This record gives sequence, structure tokens and C-alpha cells, in this order.
Amino acid sequence: MTRQPRRTRVVVVGAGMVGIRFAEEVARADREGRFEVLVLGEEAYEPYNRILLTELVAGRADLASLALARPDGVTVRLAARVQEIDREARTVQVDGEAIPYDHLVLATGAQARVLRVPGLDGDPGDPLPGGVFVLRSVDDARGITAAALNAKRAVVVGGGPLGVEAACGMRLRGVAVDVISFAGHLLDRDLDPEPGRLLAAAVGDLGVTFHGNAALAGVTHSDGHVDGVGLDDGRTLAADLVVLAAGAVPETALAAAAGLEVAHGIVVGDDLATTVDPAVFAIGDCAQTPSGVSGLVAPGWEQARALAQRLVHGEIGEPVPVVLAGAAMRLKAAGVSLVSMGRKASNADGARVLTMSDPYARRYVEVVLDGDELVGMTCLGAAELSSTLSVQFGRPGVVPLDPLQLLAPSAGQADAAAGSPTTMPGSTTVCRCNGVTKRDLVKAWEGGACSVDALATTTRATTGCGGCTSLVRGICDWLQTSDPDDGVSTRSARSTSGDGVSQVEVLDREPVVKGA
Amino acid sequence: MTDTHCPYCALQCAMRLAPGADGDLAASPREFPTNRGGMCQKGWTSADLLRTADRITAPLRRDPDGRFVEVSWDDALDEIAARVSKLQDAHGRDTVAVFGGGGLTNEKAYLLGKFARTVLRTRFIDYNGRFCMSSAAAAGNRAFGIDRGMPFPLTDLGGADAVLLLGSNLADTMPPAVQHLGGVRERGGLVVVDPRRSATARLCDDGAGEHLPLVPGTDLTLLLGLTHIVLAEGLADADFLVERTNGLDDVRRSVAAWWPERVASVTGIDEGRLRRIARQLAAASPSRGGAGAYVLTGRGAEQHVDGTDTVTAAINLALCLGLPGRVGSGYGCITGQGNGQGGREHGQKSDQLPGYRMIDDPSAREHVAAVWGVEPDSLPGKGVPAVDLLMRLGTDDGPRALFVHGSNLVVSAPDARTVTERLASLDLLVVCDFVPSETALLADFILPTTQWAEEEGTMTSLEGRVIRRRAAVTPPAGVRSELDILAGLGARLGAAVALPTDPREVFDELRRASAGGRADYAGISYARLDAGEALYWPCPTEEHAGTPRLFAEGFAHGDGRARMVAVSPRGRDDDLTRESPIFLVTGRVLQHYQSGAQTRRVRRLNDAAPAAYVELHPQLAARLGIEGVEEVRVTSSRGSMVAQARISADIRPDTVFAPFHFAGLARINSVTNAATDPISGMPEFKVCAVAVEAVGPTGPSVHPELEEVAR
Repeated sequence: MTRQPRRTRVVVVGAGMVGIRFAEEVARADREGRFEVLVLGEEAYEPYNRILLTELVAGRADLASLALARPDGVTVRLAARVQEIDREARTVQVDGEAIPYDHLVLATGAQARVLRVPGLDGDPGDPLPGGVFVLRSVDDARGITAAALNAKRAVVVGGGPLGVEAACGMRLRGVAVDVISFAGHLLDRDLDPEPGRLLAAAVGDLGVTFHGNAALAGVTHSDGHVDGVGLDDGRTLAADLVVLAAGAVPETALAAAAGLEVAHGIVVGDDLATTVDPAVFAIGDCAQTPSGVSGLVAPGWEQARALAQRLVHGEIGEPVPVVLAGAAMRLKAAGVSLVSMGRKASNADGARVLTMSDPYARRYVEVVLDGDELVGMTCLGAAELSSTLSVQFGRPGVVPLDPLQLLAPSAGQADAAAGSPTTMPGSTTVCRCNGVTKRDLVKAWEGGACSVDALATTTRATTGCGGCTSLVRGICDWLQTSDPDDGVSTRSARSTSGDGVSQVEVLDREPVVKGA
Repeated sequence: MTDTHCPYCALQCAMRLAPGADGDLAASPREFPTNRGGMCQKGWTSADLLRTADRITAPLRRDPDGRFVEVSWDDALDEIAARVSKLQDAHGRDTVAVFGGGGLTNEKAYLLGKFARTVLRTRFIDYNGRFCMSSAAAAGNRAFGIDRGMPFPLTDLGGADAVLLLGSNLADTMPPAVQHLGGVRERGGLVVVDPRRSATARLCDDGAGEHLPLVPGTDLTLLLGLTHIVLAEGLADADFLVERTNGLDDVRRSVAAWWPERVASVTGIDEGRLRRIARQLAAASPSRGGAGAYVLTGRGAEQHVDGTDTVTAAINLALCLGLPGRVGSGYGCITGQGNGQGGREHGQKSDQLPGYRMIDDPSAREHVAAVWGVEPDSLPGKGVPAVDLLMRLGTDDGPRALFVHGSNLVVSAPDARTVTERLASLDLLVVCDFVPSETALLADFILPTTQWAEEEGTMTSLEGRVIRRRAAVTPPAGVRSELDILAGLGARLGAAVALPTDPREVFDELRRASAGGRADYAGISYARLDAGEALYWPCPTEEHAGTPRLFAEGFAHGDGRARMVAVSPRGRDDDLTRESPIFLVTGRVLQHYQSGAQTRRVRRLNDAAPAAYVELHPQLAARLGIEGVEEVRVTSSRGSMVAQARISADIRPDTVFAPFHFAGLARINSVTNAATDPISGMPEFKVCAVAVEAVGPTGPSVHPELEEVAR
């Protein structure tokens, strides 16, 4: 037997959603067990779903339900902070231990941006003043939740998805919330102004007040605890709880110290390798690909999959381009439904745009079509439609010829109602189990079957699932009313034929149809 | 006058056979818990099957020029046995394979397995239940340590506050069963998950519940999302999970990545509805004071490359809610074929011996070998699941001969064109059937068999209850029971074991063989059944009352706990492309059963549903320029089918539906995908990518390559 070759060591720095996913993808792709994967996580918590932190704030999820699966065959070390990368020796330093790697994958994510304004002008790394939080970790979410117990007014700095979700979450805990943003409307990166304004109205209905074109000028405190924020227009807002949700900064310190190229994020090529060192890669929020820095989990997962495929299958297969455009934004905020994907009206680039705006109901639906393909959608206040549209996104060949139907899929479609016994057409099937039409029943009646029992015996209607019993009774009543004399005379002229026992049993039981 | 049960589906409606007004034998329903005195068109017209015009009443042998000629039974059996011996001498025992069916009685299924293992001594036996029940079976065994489709009587559904039904159209497939949903519909708790607004989905109308028209093939994702919500919102039955399950932590972590908004973007079902359904199920669960809740799956959820995992996810959800093992709540799989349950318990599966014993378990081999009077070592090992078996037929190292019993593979197998080619490449194909089915027409020998009302036996219904099938008429001269055929072949092949021909004797042997196994029939006898006892397996002794409800005391694993297994979607095997942008799903119509070999021969059923059709949404029809009066062609990378278009808003605009009962050009299984679930071997019938086009009204509607293979 040949000697087992040494396994390729892959060290992942960062046990967040992208780092863990990458490890999982390697473990899944590596059928022969050629790879040894070690994930180093800085936090002491089990790897968790960071996306759901706002659900913790809202009280719609508990902490245990956030823990992510630990991929089989992968080692995860928690509370393991990497101090240094030695690219020469191909090791990383953790608490004095040098851990060797063949491939190093940086999935260090991002830090919340702390605006350095008066009242928040401590050094990076200093604790924030009491009552001021970012929302990036479980500890942050726990802090906000605890603070919300006693808080009366909260200010959220930042009008992006995180800010809106946090605001709605705290609102669920009974705190009055103001959201401030330097942008003119909420979610300005994802939405055009009109849907943005409607979103503000929708969250306003929930009790969240939006202040646009308002930059944070300072934070005031008393006794070490925040008591208000100042805006650049001179206004002040009282607040005993402040959440900073003004964007994130890629976590690049480790990479920069190791001499890797860092711009906004850690610079990588389409192959996700750093420009300086082909053995070091970066994925997720910390990575700056040729298409930019993502900040969303879906592109990060896509990068994780692509890189795992590249590492495990080597040169096999085409390099997977990292696409950031069209990433979906789905707001998770109780009481507000919002999804946006792909292009919007303002960057439709010649594609066909249809919009439906319904300010009264805080609804806005916009679809962008390129030929027979849905390439963009914005859907506010129409949850059912948003899920219907999002599964059609990027799928050519199935959008309706008239895209108006995308905005109102069921409008104008008459539902095939059962109708009343009087008005339903003769060809209507009354008993599906036995294929009996209204015409069959009328014919049987005319032949002398002038009761529900007799109709059942003659036509077998009602003898399957019994679901049509009330309808047959209705038809029977209608026939009785419309032609009573004839009914009576023919009924007496004819006796029930065949074995009627079972039919009687069927008809004695309660009808199944609701409202019977 | 004879009391028996319907020949078709697993509901096994009780019926009485007696001469009707015209003097011919006619069927009428009897009161019975599963059908509650109801019966559908199939049942009402079932006696017509006994008088089908093209009944085969003598063995047929194919002439060198391709025509069938009648031969005597002795000649047929002599020649088949001689050819089998010759093939086995030349190529080994595994050169002969056996394909059984989920419609066979327990006695036939048992004897067929015994014949394969002791006379042919081939490892290659499997059956069409692989196409129906295998994913639910694998998941049930994994989670509960036992596989009984419904581990509770069907009538229990009546008291529930909520029923989540995934991928089952029981209003068409087994209409009388709808009665058991009456209670939950009155309470507004029926949730039907189906890409189509099927007859069953329509049961949710008018406040009776909710229909979730999800993207085909995303049932697993939906279930992960519901489980996520139950755990995240603290709706789970924490005490139950601690006391009666293992593996919660893995499952909790695995669903952490499936938050409602993400699930909405995959399934097309919005997060508000997902939360509402999860809360409704939780409110109905016993731990939260509800009257009970059920999670039920059918083929729509199971026939996928991740079908086993889909059922596992359904079970995980049920376990989180504390449903299984509680009276009035639970998880169940709705069996399809008449004896889909019993057929998988007594030795037709490639890896199993009678009593649901595993063939690679030495003690199981020893027990069964002792009952059969053979050496354990003489029993072959594990074979391969159906699709794998079929694809090997006639290949260089695959089987060269096949016996088919109770299955019409040419119509019912996935990627049926390839399967048909494989069948045609065999040296010897023997088909036992009572009509010239599409598969029989490919055979070298057709051996005519008795049918349902001409024979005695037992069936095991969808709820695990063993019921009696009784003979009402004398079979036509010239046909034989499969038990006789196997005995006749056995005698000619030098069988060292007994192959009894009396069903009662076979059943008594089955009881001994199953004794101590997972599906223990030891205490069930014809006498007890004939006395009217309602006997559900396991029933280990004649004194035992049977087991209507499993898991009350514990689950069937050694530690008595249910196992929760973390699962994640594998994704469709055959995904959409620009060329094939539409999903295909398949299913049944009310009037037909399985391949239609029987029901297409009943005039009244055929008049009501004479042909296949392709159901498509008005929006899709408009995009494709289809007006609804023309035929359409549905094409995948495997093949095409042609049928009438039927435009209906009851289907998703990105999906077409076709029924699978029809042959020839209308055979939808020419299009379906033979990719299988790695655990269960079940093929992915329920989603593939297709192109749909109108077939011109004047041009030929036929592709030459669609002609049936004929030798």
C-alpha cells in the first residue's frame, strides 16, 4: 500500500457565516479526505447566524436558534484570536502557538463603523459610552436587548437594512425609536427615492420616526450614560439608547500587518487569491473583489463555494466569477415586508420598468425586464408577491408575455366558483369521485330519483368522499322547488334499485363540506 | 356475495362483490374505517376488470417473427426453466433478475422473494415500490427505527386541529380518504403543499385551511424554514425533545441557516405565511394545548434526489412539535400502491428478507434460512435498487434475464425510453400479468395470472393493518396464480425448498419468517382476520391484539428515542436552463391507477379520462403561443411526450403537469429523470427541466424517435 500523502492544511480565520460555510463546502467537496480544515473564531460563542441578530433584538428568536451547524470533519477553535500571519513560514500565531497552513483563507468579516463625532471620540478599541451600541455580535444584541428594558427613547444612526431592522425590533420592545440618516430616504443603496419614502411611511405607522438628510453631529451623556444625540442641522433628539448602524468597515488589520494589499478591503482577484500571496485568500465582507466589497451574505456564500471548488478540484473547471450585482435584500422586520433584487428603475439601463405605487397602503411594486427575463424587482408591502417574484428572478422564458401580470398575478382571473345549484352550468362536475355532473343529476331526477338517497343510488354522487353531499342536497332542493309536482309523482312511481344499504350509511353521516 | 377490498390503491376500500342488475358481478362499498362506506369511480367500476376483453388466458411465447403464440403451461415453464438454467450456467446466478410490485399480495411478495433467494439464488431482486415508498421508508427507519407508513389508524386524523400535507393529492388518488380531513377542515387547519392547486389543495378553500403553491422540489427547504420558526420562536415541545429524542442540537444548528426570508426566496412562499403556518401547527400540538397535529408526506415531496432528507425534515418538524408517539398527533407517509406497505416488508427489496429483516444481518439470515430450510450462506447478498437494476439489464456485466411481476415498467419507470431499451436488450424477459401491458408486449413469455377477485390473500393497507382479499369468482381456465407459477418454475429448476401454492399456507410460513422481525406478523392469522379482528403489525403472538399505534412507549431504536438527523437540500438534479426553462411535475388523475394497465381497460374510466394532457398556466400558454386547443410537446434531455394542452390557472406559471398513466407518445416518463436519492434509490420523478412547444395543427405530431421499441 502506498503511503498516505500528507493532507493539505487549510486554515480559515473567522468563524462567521462565510468562514463556516467555506469549511462546510470544502468538507462536502473533498470526497477523498485530502484536506484538513481548521477554523479559528475570535468570539467565544459557537458560530452563529449573524444575520439573525436583529431577530434577537426583536425577540423573535432565541440565542440557541442562531447557532450554525459544525461541518463534519472540520475543526473549529473558538476564542482563538489570530495575532499575526507569518507568510514566510506559512503559519498563523494564536496565543503563542504557530499554526501551519498550506492555504490560508481570511474570512474576518467587517467591523461596525463608529462615527468619530463629539461624544464618540475615544480611541478605536475603547468601550463605547453607556447606552451606545453597535450591532455586530451576540454581545451587542444582548446589550441592546438589556438596555431596551429600561430605555424610553432610542436613536438608530443609519438608515440601511440593519438600522431599519434594529429600529423595528426595539419598537417591538416598546421603545420609541428615531432613525437618522445622512441620506434622503431609507435604504438608499437598495431603493430609489419613492419606495424609500413609502418605507419610511410604513415604519412610521409602526412608531418609528425617520429623519433624513441628517448626519450625526455628536452624542451627549450624563453620568456616563447617553442622554441624546445632536444632528448637523442643530436639532437634538433625546435618547437613552443609541444604536450605530452606519455601515461596516472590512476587517483588514491582520492582512495589512502581513503585507497584503489592502484598499477598502483585502484586495483579491477573480480567483479570490490575494494579489500578493497565492496561498492566502479572502472571502466575505473583508474581501475586495474586482466587483467590490459585498457586505451581504449571499455573495459571501457564493465566494465560499467558488473557492472551495477551486481548492478541492484544483484546475478542474472554469474559474467562477464572483458576482455581486443582483444580490437580494430581504428586510427582516416584523410588520414590514420588503425585498429588492437586481436592477431598479434608476439603473434599469434601457430595460423595461413597470411600477405600481400605492402610498395609501404603503405598497410599492416595481419589476425590471430584459427581454423575457426578470432582472430586477422591488416589492414593498406585498409579501406574497415578493416571494412569487423572487423565484422568477433571473429565469428567462417563464415571465408572462404581458408583464403587467407580474404586478398583479391574480388580477382579472375569475376563480372557478362552485356557484349555486340554480345557476351552475349542467356540465359542472358535482361529484368528482364518481364524475357526476349536474346534468346527470337532473336526468336522474327526471328518471324518478327524487331524493338525495335515490340520486346517490342512481348516479353514485356523494358515495366517494362525501364532499358533494350538501351540493347534491342543494340541487335536490332546487329541483323540488322548481318542479314539485313532477317530482312527487315520479318519485312514487319508482323504487330504489340495487343494494342501497351502503348509500344510506354514507348519507347518514355528517356532510364534510364546510358551511353545509 | 363476497366481502373483499378494492384492487387499487393503499386505502383498500372495503367492498362487496355481488351480481348487479344486469347479472354481472358488481362492486359496492362496505362500511369500513378507512373508506367509511365511500368508494371512488375506480372502485365502483373495478368488477369490469374481470371482464376485460383482452384478458390473456393462455401462456404466450414470442415467435422468432415477433408474434405471440399460445403454448401449454408445461411447454412454457419447461422452456423458461431451461433457458434460465442455461443462462445461469454460462453467466452465473446473478444473470437472472426479478422485478416485483407493490400491488402483489403479501403471499406473492413473500414467495417471490423466497423464489429469488432460494431457487434462482440471485441477488438481483427489487420492485416498483422503490419508485413509491423507499424515501419515506428510509427516513422512517432512520428516525424511528421502523417503517410503517402511518403509525396510527387513518381515523385518528379526524380529531386534529392542524394537518400539514406535503405532496399528496389524495382527493384524486384515494378520494374516500378526504372524509378523514373533515374535522381539521372545519377547524380551518388543513395546509396543503403542492405546486398545483390540485383537488386536494382546493379542500383548503373557504377558510378550511391554506394551500402553499411552492416551487417544485423545494419541500425540504420549506420544512427547514418551518422548523427554524418553531425553534426560534420557542414553539417547540421542549420536554418531549429532551425525553424522547436525540440529535436536536444538530438539527437546530442546521436550520439556523434557513430563516424565513431566505426560505421565501427559494420556495416562493412568503415569510408571513411561513410564520403563520408554523404557529398554527404549534398551536395545534399537544404541548401547547391543541387537539393534535399531523405532518403527512406523499410522493410529491418524496420523489426527489433528496427525498429521504425531505421526509427526515418532515419528521424533524413533527418531533420538534412533539407529535410522533402521541395519540391524536404524528408523522405519517401516505402509501400509494395497494400493498405498498406489505410489499416492502416481506423480501422484494434488494436488501431485505421477510419481516423487514436486513439481508446483511447475520442473525436475520440465520432466522429466515432456518424457516426456509436452507443454509444461511446459500442466501445471496444485497442487490441494487430498482433504477440501478433496470439500467444494468442486458449490459455486459448486467442480468440477461428478468422476471416481472405486477409492474408495467415500460410506462412507470423514469427515463422510460432507456428502460425500454434495456428490457429489449435482454436474452429472456418473462412477464406475469393478466393483460397485455406495454411491458408484457416486450416479453419472450407472458404468463397469464389470476387477478384480485379471483384469489385469496392478504394486503397491508396504508395504516399497517392487514386485511383479507377474497376470491369472488372462479378464474378463467388457463390462468394460474403467481404462487402456482413460482412453484412450477421451482420444481423445474430443482428447488430445494417448499413453494406452497395455498395462500393460507404461504401466509403461515410468512408469519414464521417474520416472527421477531421489525414487521412481525407472527400473531396474525387468516382465522383472526376472517373473524373481523382489526390487526395492525407488529403482532407477535396469537394472543396479541396488534399495534394500531406505534411509539406510545418508545421508538424502535435501542434507546427508545427518535433520532433527529440534520439535513440540507441537495438541489434538483436536472435544473432549469435557457433551453429548458420550465419545471415538469407529474401525478395521477382520479380515474386511473399507476401505469393504467388496468384502468385504461375499464371503459367507464377510459371514457371519463381517455388521454394524457399537459396542464399549463394561462400566462405560460400565452408566452408559448398555446391556445389550449392544440397538442403540445414536452421535451427534456431524455425524451419527449405529446399530449393535449389544458390551460388552467391552478398551476404555477413556471411549471407544467402531466399525468403518468399513459403510454406511447403520451408517456410522460419518457421525459422524467432517472437520477436517484443516494440513500433510498428513489428516482426524482417529481421535478425536471423541460421545454414546451405547440405541435402544429397540420404537421406531424410525432417524432420518429418516439416510436415504441418493438422487437
